[in-house]
Amino acid sequence: MKKYLTITTGLATWTAGVIIFLFMPIVFLMAMSFNEFKSIFKWTRFSTRWWGHMLDNASLTSSVRVSVEVAVISTLLALVLGTLAGLALARRPGKWTAGFVGLILLILVTPEIVDGAGQLSWFVRLGGVFREGLTPIVLVHTVFSSAVVTLIVRARVAGLDARLEEAAADLFATPVRAFWQITLPLVMPAVLSGGMLAFTLSLDNVVSTSFVSPAGITTFPNYVFGLSGGIIRPEVAAMATLFIGATLLAVAVVAVVLRRGGQSGSEIAATFTGN
Amino acid sequence: MTATVGTQPPSRRRWLRAPKFLLAIPSFVWYIFLFVVPVGLVIVNSFGKKVPGSPGKVDLTSPSLDRYHEVISGSFRSLLKLTMQTSILGTFLCLVISMPVAYLLAFKVGPKAKTAVLALLMVPFFANFLLRTLAWRIVLQPEGFLSHFLQSGHWFTFGQALMNGRIEILDTRAAVQIAIVYNYLPLMIFPLWVALDRVELHLREAAKDLGANRWRTFTQVTLPLAGPGIVAGLILVFVPLSGDYVTAALLGGAKGNMIGAEVANQYFRAQDAASGSAIAVSLIISILIVLGVMASCFWFASKLRKRSRAILVVAR
Repeated sequence: MKKYLTITTGLATWTAGVIIFLFMPIVFLMAMSFNEFKSIFKWTRFSTRWWGHMLDNASLTSSVRVSVEVAVISTLLALVLGTLAGLALARRPGKWTAGFVGLILLILVTPEIVDGAGQLSWFVRLGGVFREGLTPIVLVHTVFSSAVVTLIVRARVAGLDARLEEAAADLFATPVRAFWQITLPLVMPAVLSGGMLAFTLSLDNVVSTSFVSPAGITTFPNYVFGLSGGIIRPEVAAMATLFIGATLLAVAVVAVVLRRGGQSGSEIAATFTGN
Repeated sequence: MTATVGTQPPSRRRWLRAPKFLLAIPSFVWYIFLFVVPVGLVIVNSFGKKVPGSPGKVDLTSPSLDRYHEVISGSFRSLLKLTMQTSILGTFLCLVISMPVAYLLAFKVGPKAKTAVLALLMVPFFANFLLRTLAWRIVLQPEGFLSHFLQSGHWFTFGQALMNGRIEILDTRAAVQIAIVYNYLPLMIFPLWVALDRVELHLREAAKDLGANRWRTFTQVTLPLAGPGIVAGLILVFVPLSGDYVTAALLGGAKGNMIGAEVANQYFRAQDAASGSAIAVSLIISILIVLGVMASCFWFASKLRKRSRAILVVAR
Protein backbone atom coordinates (compact mmCIF):
# COMPACT_ATOMS: atom_id res chain seq x y z
CA MET A 1 0.00 0.00 0.00
CA LYS A 2 2.80 2.36 0.89
CA LYS A 3 4.65 1.55 -2.33
CA TYR A 4 1.48 2.11 -4.32
CA LEU A 5 1.08 5.54 -2.77
CA THR A 6 4.65 6.61 -3.58
CA ILE A 7 4.32 5.59 -7.22
CA THR A 8 1.02 7.40 -7.60
CA THR A 9 2.38 10.44 -5.78
CA GLY A 10 5.41 10.47 -8.08
CA LEU A 11 3.22 10.28 -11.17
CA ALA A 12 0.90 12.97 -9.85
CA THR A 13 3.83 15.29 -9.09
CA TRP A 14 5.21 14.73 -12.60
CA THR A 15 1.79 15.46 -14.12
CA ALA A 16 1.45 18.63 -12.03
CA GLY A 17 4.88 19.73 -13.30
CA VAL A 18 3.83 19.07 -16.90
CA ILE A 19 0.63 21.08 -16.42
CA ILE A 20 2.60 24.01 -14.94
CA PHE A 21 5.02 23.82 -17.88
CA LEU A 22 2.10 23.86 -20.33
CA PHE A 23 0.38 26.80 -18.65
CA MET A 24 3.43 28.96 -17.96
CA PRO A 25 3.84 30.75 -21.31
CA ILE A 26 0.10 31.34 -21.68
CA VAL A 27 -0.04 32.94 -18.23
CA PHE A 28 3.04 35.06 -19.02
CA LEU A 29 1.45 36.28 -22.27
CA MET A 30 -1.83 37.16 -20.57
CA ALA A 31 0.00 38.95 -17.75
CA MET A 32 1.91 41.07 -20.27
CA SER A 33 -1.36 42.54 -21.55
CA PHE A 34 -1.40 44.46 -18.25
CA ASN A 35 2.09 45.84 -18.75
CA GLU A 36 2.56 49.61 -18.62
CA PHE A 37 5.58 49.62 -20.94
CA LYS A 38 5.10 49.61 -24.74
CA SER A 39 6.62 46.13 -25.25
CA ILE A 40 5.49 42.72 -24.05
CA PHE A 41 9.11 41.67 -23.55
CA LYS A 42 9.92 43.97 -20.61
CA TRP A 43 7.68 44.27 -17.57
CA THR A 44 7.52 47.66 -15.83
CA ARG A 45 4.24 48.36 -13.98
CA PHE A 46 0.67 47.17 -13.88
CA SER A 47 -1.64 49.09 -16.19
CA THR A 48 -4.84 48.44 -18.11
CA ARG A 49 -4.24 51.18 -20.69
CA TRP A 50 -3.42 48.81 -23.58
CA TRP A 51 -6.78 47.07 -23.24
CA GLY A 52 -8.33 50.41 -24.22
CA HIS A 53 -6.00 50.81 -27.20
CA MET A 54 -6.75 47.36 -28.53
CA LEU A 55 -9.63 48.45 -30.76
CA ASP A 56 -7.83 51.57 -32.07
CA ASN A 57 -5.30 49.50 -33.98
CA ALA A 58 -7.05 49.00 -37.33
CA SER A 59 -4.70 46.38 -38.74
CA LEU A 60 -5.02 44.36 -35.53
CA THR A 61 -8.83 44.41 -35.48
CA SER A 62 -9.14 43.71 -39.20
CA SER A 63 -6.82 40.70 -38.89
CA VAL A 64 -9.03 39.32 -36.12
CA ARG A 65 -12.10 39.87 -38.29
CA VAL A 66 -10.44 37.97 -41.16
CA SER A 67 -9.55 35.11 -38.79
CA VAL A 68 -13.10 34.77 -37.49
CA GLU A 69 -14.74 35.05 -40.93
CA VAL A 70 -12.39 32.49 -42.45
CA ALA A 71 -12.89 30.14 -39.48
CA VAL A 72 -16.72 30.35 -39.70
CA ILE A 73 -16.91 29.80 -43.47
CA SER A 74 -14.30 27.05 -43.57
CA THR A 75 -15.94 25.26 -40.62
CA LEU A 76 -19.32 25.22 -42.38
CA LEU A 77 -17.74 23.90 -45.58
CA ALA A 78 -15.73 21.27 -43.69
CA LEU A 79 -18.87 20.14 -41.86
CA VAL A 80 -20.84 19.64 -45.08
CA LEU A 81 -17.99 17.81 -46.83
CA GLY A 82 -16.93 15.80 -43.78
CA THR A 83 -20.42 14.76 -42.66
CA LEU A 84 -21.36 13.48 -46.13
CA ALA A 85 -18.05 11.64 -46.56
CA GLY A 86 -18.19 10.21 -43.02
CA LEU A 87 -21.73 8.89 -43.67
CA ALA A 88 -20.65 7.32 -46.95
CA LEU A 89 -17.61 5.68 -45.32
CA ALA A 90 -19.63 4.16 -42.49
CA ARG A 91 -22.77 3.18 -44.40
CA ARG A 92 -21.49 2.40 -47.89
CA PRO A 93 -18.19 0.62 -47.38
CA GLY A 94 -16.69 -0.96 -50.45
CA LYS A 95 -13.56 -1.14 -52.50
CA TRP A 96 -13.34 2.66 -52.60
CA THR A 97 -13.14 2.94 -48.79
CA ALA A 98 -9.49 1.92 -48.44
CA GLY A 99 -8.33 4.40 -51.05
CA PHE A 100 -10.39 7.23 -49.61
CA VAL A 101 -9.30 6.61 -46.02
CA GLY A 102 -5.71 6.36 -47.29
CA LEU A 103 -6.08 9.77 -48.93
CA ILE A 104 -7.45 11.23 -45.69
CA LEU A 105 -4.57 9.80 -43.65
CA LEU A 106 -2.12 11.17 -46.21
CA ILE A 107 -3.70 14.62 -45.80
CA LEU A 108 -3.41 14.34 -42.01
CA VAL A 109 0.31 13.45 -42.03
CA THR A 110 1.61 15.63 -44.86
CA PRO A 111 3.65 18.50 -43.42
CA GLU A 112 1.74 21.73 -43.88
CA ILE A 113 4.71 23.39 -45.55
CA VAL A 114 4.36 20.94 -48.47
CA ASP A 115 0.61 21.55 -48.96
CA GLY A 116 1.11 25.29 -48.59
CA ALA A 117 3.89 25.45 -51.16
CA GLY A 118 1.87 23.36 -53.63
CA GLN A 119 -1.34 25.30 -53.08
CA LEU A 120 0.49 28.57 -53.76
CA SER A 121 1.92 27.28 -57.06
CA TRP A 122 -1.46 25.90 -58.05
CA PHE A 123 -3.38 29.09 -57.17
CA VAL A 124 -0.84 31.22 -59.04
CA ARG A 125 -1.49 29.11 -62.13
CA LEU A 126 -5.26 29.33 -61.74
CA GLY A 127 -5.23 33.04 -60.90
CA GLY A 128 -8.44 35.08 -60.60
CA VAL A 129 -10.58 34.32 -57.57
CA PHE A 130 -7.87 32.04 -56.16
CA ARG A 131 -5.62 35.03 -55.58
CA GLU A 132 -8.23 37.42 -54.14
CA GLY A 133 -10.09 37.96 -50.90
CA LEU A 134 -10.73 35.25 -48.36
CA THR A 135 -11.33 32.46 -50.91
CA PRO A 136 -7.81 30.96 -51.06
CA ILE A 137 -7.45 31.02 -47.25
CA VAL A 138 -10.85 29.40 -46.72
CA LEU A 139 -10.14 26.73 -49.33
CA VAL A 140 -6.82 25.60 -47.84
CA HIS A 141 -8.27 25.54 -44.32
CA THR A 142 -11.06 23.17 -45.35
CA VAL A 143 -8.70 20.45 -46.60
CA PHE A 144 -7.28 19.39 -43.25
CA SER A 145 -10.38 20.17 -41.18
CA SER A 146 -12.85 18.29 -43.40
CA ALA A 147 -10.56 15.25 -43.16
CA VAL A 148 -10.77 15.46 -39.37
CA VAL A 149 -14.59 15.90 -39.45
CA THR A 150 -14.89 12.89 -41.79
CA LEU A 151 -13.09 10.58 -39.35
CA ILE A 152 -15.11 11.79 -36.34
CA VAL A 153 -18.46 11.44 -38.15
CA ARG A 154 -17.49 8.02 -39.51
CA ALA A 155 -16.70 6.77 -36.00
CA ARG A 156 -20.05 8.02 -34.70
CA VAL A 157 -22.14 6.61 -37.59
CA ALA A 158 -20.39 3.25 -37.33
CA GLY A 159 -21.69 3.01 -33.76
CA LEU A 160 -25.31 3.70 -34.79
CA ASP A 161 -27.91 1.09 -35.67
CA ALA A 162 -28.44 1.04 -39.44
CA ARG A 163 -31.99 -0.23 -38.87
CA LEU A 164 -33.02 3.28 -37.79
CA GLU A 165 -32.49 4.54 -41.33
CA GLU A 166 -34.13 1.42 -42.76
CA ALA A 167 -37.15 2.09 -40.57
CA ALA A 168 -37.28 5.65 -41.88
CA ALA A 169 -37.22 4.31 -45.44
CA ASP A 170 -39.95 1.77 -44.65
CA LEU A 171 -42.07 4.60 -43.31
CA PHE A 172 -41.88 6.43 -46.66
CA ALA A 173 -39.19 8.96 -45.71
CA THR A 174 -37.34 10.42 -48.66
CA PRO A 175 -33.53 10.28 -48.40
CA VAL A 176 -33.38 14.01 -47.64
CA ARG A 177 -36.08 13.79 -44.96
CA ALA A 178 -34.47 10.73 -43.35
CA PHE A 179 -31.18 12.61 -43.24
CA TRP A 180 -32.60 15.71 -41.55
CA GLN A 181 -34.94 13.92 -39.15
CA ILE A 182 -33.09 10.71 -38.26
CA THR A 183 -29.43 10.64 -39.24
CA LEU A 184 -28.39 14.23 -38.53
CA PRO A 185 -29.82 14.39 -34.98
CA LEU A 186 -28.08 11.09 -34.21
CA VAL A 187 -24.70 12.23 -35.52
CA MET A 188 -25.08 15.70 -33.99
CA PRO A 189 -22.48 15.08 -31.22
CA ALA A 190 -19.90 14.20 -33.88
CA VAL A 191 -20.88 17.23 -35.96
CA LEU A 192 -20.49 19.48 -32.90
CA SER A 193 -17.07 18.12 -31.94
CA GLY A 194 -15.95 18.11 -35.56
CA GLY A 195 -17.13 21.67 -36.06
CA MET A 196 -15.35 22.82 -32.93
CA LEU A 197 -12.13 21.15 -34.09
CA ALA A 198 -12.45 22.59 -37.60
CA PHE A 199 -12.98 26.05 -36.10
CA THR A 200 -9.92 25.91 -33.83
CA LEU A 201 -7.77 24.32 -36.56
CA SER A 202 -8.64 27.23 -38.82
CA LEU A 203 -7.80 29.78 -36.12
CA ASP A 204 -4.49 27.96 -35.48
CA ASN A 205 -3.33 27.77 -39.09
CA VAL A 206 -0.26 29.81 -39.94
CA VAL A 207 1.82 28.01 -42.56
CA SER A 208 -0.51 27.38 -45.48
CA THR A 209 -2.27 30.67 -44.73
CA SER A 210 1.01 32.55 -45.11
CA PHE A 211 1.60 30.89 -48.47
CA VAL A 212 -1.77 31.57 -50.10
CA SER A 213 -2.85 34.88 -48.48
CA PRO A 214 -3.48 37.58 -51.11
CA ALA A 215 -1.60 40.86 -50.61
CA GLY A 216 -3.12 42.98 -47.85
CA ILE A 217 -5.19 40.22 -46.28
CA THR A 218 -3.89 38.55 -43.14
CA THR A 219 -5.25 36.49 -40.28
CA PHE A 220 -4.59 37.35 -36.64
CA PRO A 221 -1.87 34.69 -36.06
CA ASN A 222 -0.15 35.69 -39.31
CA TYR A 223 -0.36 39.37 -38.36
CA VAL A 224 1.40 38.57 -35.06
CA PHE A 225 3.88 36.33 -36.91
CA GLY A 226 4.70 39.30 -39.12
CA LEU A 227 5.35 41.48 -36.05
CA SER A 228 7.76 39.00 -34.49
CA GLY A 229 11.36 40.12 -34.54
CA GLY A 230 10.32 43.66 -33.66
CA ILE A 231 8.55 45.26 -30.72
CA ILE A 232 5.18 43.79 -29.87
CA ARG A 233 2.89 46.12 -27.94
CA PRO A 234 0.75 44.91 -25.02
CA GLU A 235 -2.42 45.62 -27.02
CA VAL A 236 -1.52 42.55 -29.09
CA ALA A 237 -1.23 40.54 -25.86
CA ALA A 238 -4.62 41.91 -24.80
CA MET A 239 -6.18 40.80 -28.09
CA ALA A 240 -4.39 37.45 -27.73
CA THR A 241 -5.89 37.03 -24.25
CA LEU A 242 -9.35 37.76 -25.61
CA PHE A 243 -8.75 35.42 -28.59
CA ILE A 244 -7.56 32.49 -26.45
CA GLY A 245 -10.31 33.14 -23.88
CA ALA A 246 -13.03 33.12 -26.55
CA THR A 247 -11.67 29.92 -28.12
CA LEU A 248 -11.56 28.13 -24.77
CA LEU A 249 -15.08 29.34 -23.97
CA ALA A 250 -16.34 27.86 -27.25
CA VAL A 251 -14.58 24.57 -26.49
CA ALA A 252 -16.06 24.52 -22.98
CA VAL A 253 -19.60 25.20 -24.27
CA VAL A 254 -19.35 22.30 -26.74
CA ALA A 255 -17.95 20.07 -23.97
CA VAL A 256 -20.83 20.95 -21.64
CA VAL A 257 -23.42 20.29 -24.38
CA LEU A 258 -21.85 16.89 -25.09
CA ARG A 259 -21.71 16.15 -21.37
CA ARG A 260 -25.43 16.89 -21.07
CA GLY A 261 -25.94 14.55 -23.99
CA GLY A 262 -24.53 11.76 -21.83
CA GLN A 263 -20.89 11.50 -22.90
CA SER A 264 -18.23 11.03 -20.23
CA GLY A 265 -15.34 13.44 -19.73
CA SER A 266 -12.95 10.87 -21.14
CA GLU A 267 -15.02 10.32 -24.29
CA ILE A 268 -15.21 14.06 -24.91
CA ALA A 269 -11.47 14.49 -24.39
CA ALA A 270 -10.70 11.61 -26.75
CA THR A 271 -12.96 13.04 -29.49
CA PHE A 272 -11.66 16.59 -29.08
CA THR A 273 -8.08 15.51 -29.51
CA GLY A 274 -8.86 13.45 -32.58
CA ASN A 275 -8.54 10.05 -30.94
CA MET B 1 -47.20 -6.98 -48.32
CA THR B 2 -46.72 -9.41 -45.47
CA ALA B 3 -44.95 -11.76 -47.85
CA THR B 4 -42.12 -9.32 -48.45
CA VAL B 5 -41.41 -8.66 -44.76
CA GLY B 6 -38.46 -10.70 -43.57
CA THR B 7 -37.56 -12.13 -46.94
CA GLN B 8 -36.45 -9.04 -48.77
CA PRO B 9 -36.53 -5.35 -47.96
CA PRO B 10 -39.39 -3.37 -49.48
CA SER B 11 -38.62 -1.40 -52.61
CA ARG B 12 -38.85 1.83 -50.61
CA ARG B 13 -35.45 0.96 -49.16
CA ARG B 14 -33.87 1.22 -52.58
CA TRP B 15 -32.16 4.53 -51.78
CA LEU B 16 -30.37 2.91 -48.90
CA ARG B 17 -28.62 0.57 -51.28
CA ALA B 18 -28.07 3.11 -54.07
CA PRO B 19 -24.71 4.53 -55.25
CA LYS B 20 -21.99 3.41 -52.94
CA PHE B 21 -19.75 6.43 -52.72
CA LEU B 22 -22.06 9.19 -53.95
CA LEU B 23 -21.87 11.18 -50.73
CA ALA B 24 -18.08 11.09 -50.68
CA ILE B 25 -17.73 12.51 -54.19
CA PRO B 26 -17.70 16.19 -53.11
CA SER B 27 -14.86 15.49 -50.66
CA PHE B 28 -13.05 13.42 -53.21
CA VAL B 29 -13.14 16.19 -55.84
CA TRP B 30 -12.17 18.71 -53.13
CA TYR B 31 -9.10 16.71 -52.10
CA ILE B 32 -7.98 16.10 -55.69
CA PHE B 33 -8.27 19.80 -56.44
CA LEU B 34 -6.75 21.18 -53.22
CA PHE B 35 -4.36 18.44 -52.09
CA VAL B 36 -3.41 15.89 -54.75
CA VAL B 37 -2.83 18.40 -57.57
CA PRO B 38 -0.90 20.89 -55.37
CA VAL B 39 1.35 18.21 -53.86
CA GLY B 40 1.85 16.72 -57.34
CA LEU B 41 2.80 20.18 -58.53
CA VAL B 42 5.47 20.43 -55.82
CA ILE B 43 6.97 17.15 -57.04
CA VAL B 44 6.83 18.21 -60.70
CA ASN B 45 8.21 21.70 -59.99
CA SER B 46 11.18 20.24 -58.13
CA PHE B 47 12.54 19.05 -61.50
CA GLY B 48 12.21 22.49 -63.09
CA LYS B 49 14.04 25.78 -63.10
CA LYS B 50 13.31 29.25 -61.72
CA VAL B 51 11.75 31.77 -64.10
CA PRO B 52 13.43 35.11 -63.24
CA GLY B 53 10.95 37.88 -62.54
CA SER B 54 7.80 35.78 -62.20
CA PRO B 55 7.40 34.44 -58.65
CA GLY B 56 5.76 31.05 -58.27
CA LYS B 57 6.36 30.14 -61.92
CA VAL B 58 8.65 27.28 -62.87
CA ASP B 59 10.31 26.51 -66.22
CA LEU B 60 9.73 22.84 -66.99
CA THR B 61 11.03 22.72 -70.57
CA SER B 62 14.18 20.82 -69.63
CA PRO B 63 13.49 18.73 -66.51
CA SER B 64 16.58 17.85 -64.49
CA LEU B 65 17.78 16.78 -61.05
CA ASP B 66 19.84 19.99 -60.70
CA ARG B 67 17.73 21.34 -57.82
CA TYR B 68 18.32 18.14 -55.87
CA HIS B 69 22.06 18.42 -56.50
CA GLU B 70 21.90 21.89 -54.99
CA VAL B 71 20.01 20.58 -51.97
CA ILE B 72 22.48 17.73 -51.41
CA SER B 73 25.64 19.75 -51.96
CA GLY B 74 24.65 23.06 -50.40
CA SER B 75 24.11 24.20 -46.84
CA PHE B 76 20.61 22.69 -47.04
CA ARG B 77 21.94 19.23 -46.33
CA SER B 78 23.36 20.14 -42.92
CA LEU B 79 20.18 22.08 -42.13
CA LEU B 80 18.10 19.05 -43.10
CA LYS B 81 20.25 16.91 -40.80
CA LEU B 82 19.89 19.40 -37.93
CA THR B 83 16.11 19.51 -38.52
CA MET B 84 15.90 15.72 -38.32
CA GLN B 85 18.03 15.68 -35.14
CA THR B 86 15.88 18.33 -33.48
CA SER B 87 12.70 16.49 -34.54
CA ILE B 88 13.86 13.05 -33.39
CA LEU B 89 15.07 14.42 -30.04
CA GLY B 90 11.84 16.44 -29.69
CA THR B 91 9.65 13.40 -30.41
CA PHE B 92 11.66 11.28 -27.98
CA LEU B 93 11.42 13.93 -25.22
CA CYS B 94 7.66 14.23 -25.83
CA LEU B 95 7.32 10.45 -25.45
CA VAL B 96 9.34 10.31 -22.22
CA ILE B 97 7.60 13.31 -20.65
CA SER B 98 4.12 12.14 -21.72
CA MET B 99 4.33 8.53 -20.59
CA PRO B 100 3.96 9.10 -16.82
CA VAL B 101 1.08 11.54 -17.45
CA ALA B 102 -0.70 9.08 -19.75
CA TYR B 103 -0.07 6.24 -17.28
CA LEU B 104 -1.53 8.24 -14.41
CA LEU B 105 -4.59 9.17 -16.48
CA ALA B 106 -5.17 5.63 -17.69
CA PHE B 107 -4.65 3.65 -14.49
CA LYS B 108 -4.22 5.71 -11.36
CA VAL B 109 -7.04 8.25 -11.05
CA GLY B 110 -10.79 8.09 -10.64
CA PRO B 111 -13.20 9.43 -13.27
CA LYS B 112 -13.61 12.84 -11.59
CA ALA B 113 -9.88 13.53 -11.23
CA LYS B 114 -9.35 12.21 -14.76
CA THR B 115 -11.87 14.65 -16.21
CA ALA B 116 -10.25 17.49 -14.28
CA VAL B 117 -6.71 16.67 -15.51
CA LEU B 118 -7.95 16.20 -19.08
CA ALA B 119 -9.74 19.55 -18.92
CA LEU B 120 -6.53 21.22 -17.74
CA LEU B 121 -4.55 19.61 -20.56
CA MET B 122 -7.14 20.87 -23.06
CA VAL B 123 -6.34 24.51 -22.27
CA PRO B 124 -2.84 24.61 -23.82
CA PHE B 125 -4.03 22.23 -26.56
CA PHE B 126 -6.66 24.71 -27.73
CA ALA B 127 -4.78 27.93 -26.95
CA ASN B 128 -3.65 29.41 -30.26
CA PHE B 129 -0.48 27.76 -31.58
CA LEU B 130 1.31 30.90 -32.70
CA LEU B 131 0.41 32.93 -29.62
CA ARG B 132 1.52 30.30 -27.14
CA THR B 133 4.79 29.85 -29.05
CA LEU B 134 5.46 33.58 -29.13
CA ALA B 135 4.78 33.61 -25.39
CA TRP B 136 8.01 31.62 -24.89
CA ARG B 137 9.90 34.76 -25.95
CA ILE B 138 8.46 36.42 -22.85
CA VAL B 139 9.27 33.46 -20.60
CA LEU B 140 12.86 33.15 -21.83
CA GLN B 141 13.81 36.85 -21.74
CA PRO B 142 17.28 37.16 -20.12
CA GLU B 143 15.94 40.06 -18.01
CA GLY B 144 12.57 38.45 -17.53
CA PHE B 145 10.74 37.10 -14.51
CA LEU B 146 11.90 33.50 -14.82
CA SER B 147 15.54 34.51 -15.28
CA HIS B 148 15.42 36.71 -12.16
CA PHE B 149 13.61 34.00 -10.25
CA LEU B 150 16.35 31.50 -11.06
CA GLN B 151 19.04 34.00 -9.99
CA SER B 152 17.40 34.92 -6.71
CA GLY B 153 16.62 31.57 -5.12
CA HIS B 154 19.42 30.02 -3.08
CA TRP B 155 17.68 26.72 -3.47
CA PHE B 156 18.10 26.89 -7.19
CA THR B 157 21.93 26.72 -7.21
CA PHE B 158 21.60 23.96 -9.77
CA GLY B 159 20.02 26.36 -12.22
CA GLN B 160 22.71 28.94 -11.46
CA ALA B 161 25.54 26.52 -12.09
CA LEU B 162 23.88 25.42 -15.29
CA MET B 163 23.53 28.79 -16.95
CA ASN B 164 25.27 31.35 -14.78
CA GLY B 165 21.93 32.21 -13.29
CA ARG B 166 20.75 33.98 -16.41
CA ILE B 167 18.62 32.44 -19.09
CA GLU B 168 20.40 33.23 -22.31
CA ILE B 169 19.00 30.71 -24.71
CA LEU B 170 16.68 32.85 -26.82
CA ASP B 171 17.58 32.63 -30.52
CA THR B 172 19.40 29.34 -30.10
CA ARG B 173 18.51 25.74 -30.89
CA ALA B 174 17.91 25.09 -27.17
CA ALA B 175 15.00 27.53 -27.14
CA VAL B 176 13.57 25.87 -30.26
CA GLN B 177 13.93 22.46 -28.65
CA ILE B 178 12.07 23.56 -25.51
CA ALA B 179 9.26 25.20 -27.46
CA ILE B 180 8.95 22.23 -29.81
CA VAL B 181 8.55 19.83 -26.90
CA TYR B 182 6.05 22.28 -25.42
CA ASN B 183 4.02 22.59 -28.63
CA TYR B 184 3.79 18.90 -29.43
CA LEU B 185 3.50 17.52 -25.89
CA PRO B 186 -0.33 17.52 -25.82
CA LEU B 187 -0.33 15.84 -29.24
CA MET B 188 1.61 12.97 -27.63
CA ILE B 189 -0.15 12.80 -24.24
CA PHE B 190 -3.65 12.24 -25.65
CA PRO B 191 -2.89 9.35 -28.07
CA LEU B 192 -0.73 7.67 -25.39
CA TRP B 193 -3.49 7.98 -22.83
CA VAL B 194 -6.09 6.56 -25.24
CA ALA B 195 -3.73 3.71 -26.18
CA LEU B 196 -3.06 2.79 -22.54
CA ASP B 197 -6.71 3.28 -21.61
CA ARG B 198 -7.75 0.63 -24.12
CA VAL B 199 -5.51 -2.03 -22.57
CA GLU B 200 -7.94 -4.22 -20.71
CA LEU B 201 -7.66 -4.25 -16.96
CA HIS B 202 -8.08 -8.01 -16.63
CA LEU B 203 -5.03 -8.68 -18.83
CA ARG B 204 -2.88 -6.57 -16.52
CA GLU B 205 -4.43 -8.23 -13.49
CA ALA B 206 -3.71 -11.64 -14.97
CA ALA B 207 -0.04 -10.68 -15.35
CA LYS B 208 0.07 -9.62 -11.71
CA ASP B 209 -1.68 -12.81 -10.59
CA LEU B 210 0.97 -14.78 -12.42
CA GLY B 211 3.61 -13.07 -10.32
CA ALA B 212 4.75 -10.22 -12.57
CA ASN B 213 5.73 -7.08 -10.70
CA ARG B 214 4.59 -3.59 -11.70
CA TRP B 215 7.51 -2.93 -14.05
CA ARG B 216 7.27 -6.31 -15.76
CA THR B 217 3.53 -5.92 -16.22
CA PHE B 218 4.15 -2.52 -17.82
CA THR B 219 6.96 -3.59 -20.16
CA GLN B 220 5.68 -7.04 -21.10
CA VAL B 221 1.90 -6.66 -21.11
CA THR B 222 0.77 -3.03 -21.17
CA LEU B 223 3.36 -1.57 -23.56
CA PRO B 224 3.09 -4.26 -26.27
CA LEU B 225 -0.71 -4.05 -26.17
CA ALA B 226 -0.61 -0.26 -26.39
CA GLY B 227 2.09 -0.47 -29.08
CA PRO B 228 0.04 0.51 -32.16
CA GLY B 229 -1.39 3.55 -30.36
CA ILE B 230 2.07 4.61 -29.24
CA VAL B 231 3.42 4.31 -32.78
CA ALA B 232 0.48 6.42 -34.03
CA GLY B 233 1.37 9.05 -31.42
CA LEU B 234 5.01 9.05 -32.50
CA ILE B 235 4.08 9.56 -36.16
CA LEU B 236 1.50 12.26 -35.38
CA VAL B 237 4.14 14.20 -33.44
CA PHE B 238 7.22 13.55 -35.56
CA VAL B 239 5.78 14.39 -38.99
CA PRO B 240 4.24 17.82 -38.33
CA LEU B 241 7.15 18.67 -36.03
CA SER B 242 9.77 18.14 -38.74
CA GLY B 243 7.87 20.38 -41.16
CA ASP B 244 7.22 23.09 -38.55
CA TYR B 245 9.29 26.21 -39.05
CA VAL B 246 7.07 28.71 -37.22
CA THR B 247 8.38 27.65 -33.81
CA ALA B 248 11.97 27.96 -35.05
CA ALA B 249 11.31 31.30 -36.74
CA LEU B 250 9.84 32.73 -33.54
CA LEU B 251 12.47 31.43 -31.10
CA GLY B 252 15.52 30.15 -32.92
CA GLY B 253 16.89 33.20 -34.70
CA ALA B 254 19.64 32.38 -37.18
CA LYS B 255 21.05 29.55 -35.06
CA GLY B 256 17.89 27.55 -34.57
CA ASN B 257 16.61 27.44 -38.14
CA MET B 258 14.58 24.51 -39.47
CA ILE B 259 14.43 23.29 -43.08
CA GLY B 260 10.80 24.39 -43.52
CA ALA B 261 11.96 28.00 -43.25
CA GLU B 262 14.16 27.44 -46.31
CA VAL B 263 11.13 26.29 -48.31
CA ALA B 264 9.36 29.51 -47.37
CA ASN B 265 12.51 31.56 -48.06
CA GLN B 266 12.87 30.09 -51.55
CA TYR B 267 9.25 30.88 -52.35
CA PHE B 268 9.04 34.36 -50.87
CA ARG B 269 12.55 35.87 -50.86
CA ALA B 270 14.38 34.10 -53.67
CA GLN B 271 11.09 33.64 -55.59
CA ASP B 272 12.43 30.28 -56.68
CA ALA B 273 9.56 27.78 -56.51
CA ALA B 274 11.72 25.08 -58.13
CA SER B 275 14.34 25.06 -55.35
CA GLY B 276 11.62 25.44 -52.70
CA SER B 277 9.85 22.39 -54.12
CA ALA B 278 13.06 20.34 -54.19
CA ILE B 279 13.71 21.18 -50.52
CA ALA B 280 10.11 20.26 -49.64
CA VAL B 281 10.41 16.91 -51.44
CA SER B 282 13.77 16.28 -49.71
CA LEU B 283 12.03 16.94 -46.39
CA ILE B 284 9.36 14.34 -47.19
CA ILE B 285 12.03 11.82 -48.24
CA SER B 286 13.95 12.43 -44.99
CA ILE B 287 10.76 11.95 -42.96
CA LEU B 288 10.06 8.69 -44.77
CA ILE B 289 13.62 7.47 -44.16
CA VAL B 290 13.37 8.23 -40.42
CA LEU B 291 9.95 6.52 -40.23
CA GLY B 292 11.38 3.54 -42.11
CA VAL B 293 14.29 3.24 -39.71
CA MET B 294 11.89 3.59 -36.79
CA ALA B 295 9.61 0.87 -38.18
CA SER B 296 12.49 -1.55 -38.70
CA CYS B 297 13.72 -0.85 -35.16
CA PHE B 298 10.28 -1.76 -33.80
CA TRP B 299 10.16 -4.85 -36.00
CA PHE B 300 13.62 -5.92 -34.87
CA ALA B 301 12.82 -5.30 -31.19
CA SER B 302 9.65 -7.40 -31.30
CA LYS B 303 11.50 -10.17 -33.18
CA LEU B 304 14.24 -10.11 -30.56
CA ARG B 305 11.73 -10.23 -27.74
CA LYS B 306 9.97 -13.26 -29.19
CA ARG B 307 13.29 -14.96 -29.83
CA SER B 308 14.63 -14.43 -26.31
CA ARG B 309 11.39 -15.77 -24.93
CA ALA B 310 11.70 -18.88 -27.13
CA ILE B 311 15.27 -19.42 -25.89
CA LEU B 312 14.07 -19.12 -22.29
CA VAL B 313 11.36 -21.71 -22.90
CA VAL B 314 13.85 -24.10 -24.52
CA ALA B 315 16.36 -23.61 -21.68
CA ARG B 316 13.74 -24.58 -19.16
